Amino acid sequence: MSWIREGELNLLEKISANILKAGPMPKHVAFIMDGNRRFARKKQMGRQEGHMQGFNKLAETLRWCKHLNIQEVTVYAFSIENFKRTKDEVDGLMELAKQKFEKLLEERCFLNVCFAYTSRYEITNAVREMAWGVEEGLIKASDVSEALLSECLYSNNSPNPDLLIRTSGEVRLSDFLLWQTSHSCLVFQSVLWPEYSFWNLCEAILQFQLNHKSIQKARDLHREHQASQQLEADRACVAELLQHHGNGKPADAQRRQEALLHHTACREERIHDFLEALKHKRDSFFNDLTSEAAVA
Amino acid sequence: MALLYGLLWRLLLLLVHVNRVLVSWLRVRLRSMKGRLWERAVAALLLPLALAGFPDQQKKLNHANPDANGNPVTGSRAAGRRARWLSDGRALDKLPVHIGLLVAEEELSYTDTANLVVWCMAVGISYVSVYDQHGIFQKNNSRMLEEIVRQQQDLLGVDGSKYSVEVLNNGSDKQQQNVLSCRPAVKLLCPDDGKQSIVAAAQQLCRSVEKRERSSKDISVTMLDSLLRESKNVPDPELVVKFGPVDSTLGFLPWHIRLTEFMSLPSHRGVSYDDLLGVLQRYSSCQQRLGQ
Repeated sequence: MSWIREGELNLLEKISANILKAGPMPKHVAFIMDGNRRFARKKQMGRQEGHMQGFNKLAETLRWCKHLNIQEVTVYAFSIENFKRTKDEVDGLMELAKQKFEKLLEERCFLNVCFAYTSRYEITNAVREMAWGVEEGLIKASDVSEALLSECLYSNNSPNPDLLIRTSGEVRLSDFLLWQTSHSCLVFQSVLWPEYSFWNLCEAILQFQLNHKSIQKARDLHREHQASQQLEADRACVAELLQHHGNGKPADAQRRQEALLHHTACREERIHDFLEALKHKRDSFFNDLTSEAAVA
Repeated sequence: MALLYGLLWRLLLLLVHVNRVLVSWLRVRLRSMKGRLWERAVAALLLPLALAGFPDQQKKLNHANPDANGNPVTGSRAAGRRARWLSDGRALDKLPVHIGLLVAEEELSYTDTANLVVWCMAVGISYVSVYDQHGIFQKNNSRMLEEIVRQQQDLLGVDGSKYSVEVLNNGSDKQQQNVLSCRPAVKLLCPDDGKQSIVAAAQQLCRSVEKRERSSKDISVTMLDSLLRESKNVPDPELVVKFGPVDSTLGFLPWHIRLTEFMSLPSHRGVSYDDLLGVLQRYSSCQQRLGQ
């Protein structure tokens, strides 16, 4: 039986989905599923029950996302900070996660779960990976750029979220995807996560659609700015290089241009090889982990 | 069929826009009108299409104070205002140490922004940052400083020099020994202070790795954090107030906004002291559970 229930939307929901789909739709949505414990208190049930409801709501939400052609979903399940909770609660959540995610492996969908995650740690880890690349002689310190850092994050296989939704009325990011959501549409909704409805999701998507043009413009502006910064950095490197080898004679424009093209090509090749090595390192790490788990 | 849905979608967007225009028109028109009629009108309009983006400030019943909007006044009125604003600040359970003013609008107003800065400082906030996605305020920092000084004199009277402001430029940061010094500080920020600063810190660390001064394994969150503070000592903002219709941080200090509360006001143009106070009151009543 499918954990992501293949139930159909009712007629009204279907019509609304079709209306929304006539406009621009987010391809990747991130959720901070907040409010399980408050919900439990409100309904006078145990915290564990609240988390169960939260998981069920996640399943339902994934079904809605499928109907809305949202290809990728990232959720914030558990942060390092959350380990401050009582041992019983933490153990309970871990067991629940294990059960639910085992079933999820049978489904084909892109669900990213951020588990024991903080964004600052992720960014720091990306910097560490780049430093490792420098240590191994794969890249130079001057190759470090915003684009390269993004490629070293855990989320490098996914596009940045178009839409970030946080429930339960809190209006913070709580160390979640700080780098990736710099130009995302942020929607804060006061509904508690276990009470999230299809209409809440539509509301958030509508908000995304209203912001789409201006956010797209901001993203394009940022991309252009990044490109010009990269060009400037390349030019600076080349100027230094030419000065070094030039014996004091100023290089002519053509030579500068050739050197620039050469430098850029070399940089791109270095980065490509570094990213391959990084991927290989990560894959072997996971392979070792799973083979250890299989033995255990 | 696709055509029909397309039309319905455009109609939906049109309805939302009409709703928004009506609400902001009413806000302006009925600002001075006392209570019930205004509240009922707003409630009636907002309820059917209550879209939650960044939570918008609901206008509370405010007895509009003619002094509050920066008309040139005599010394005693300014002193009275100064005292009142200070007591407003003291009446709050908590005030942010650093407030970020994120102007997500294309047309910028130096006067209104300067007003906001002066009000923030008058209420007792010691570090105010101003951000726009094109970095225009930062590029024109001398004009901004002039405007702040002018508004200080207008709003706080001649004695406003007590609140002498430091507009922190990138160059003078190294002289800023203690960010939490007695003098309120204003920092003008741009997108490069965000991701690009993180990249610069990363480059610095990689260069020291290149020179074998440290190993990649030494790099920790604390190290990266303190490196970021070294070049631009910006404390984490507890509160960011966003002005404008765009629901995004638009690149504002990604590293620093880990636990920041985000609140929004429709526009910085024509913003009033009461608007700002409303946001601060809301901030003072929020609870940060920090994972527990």
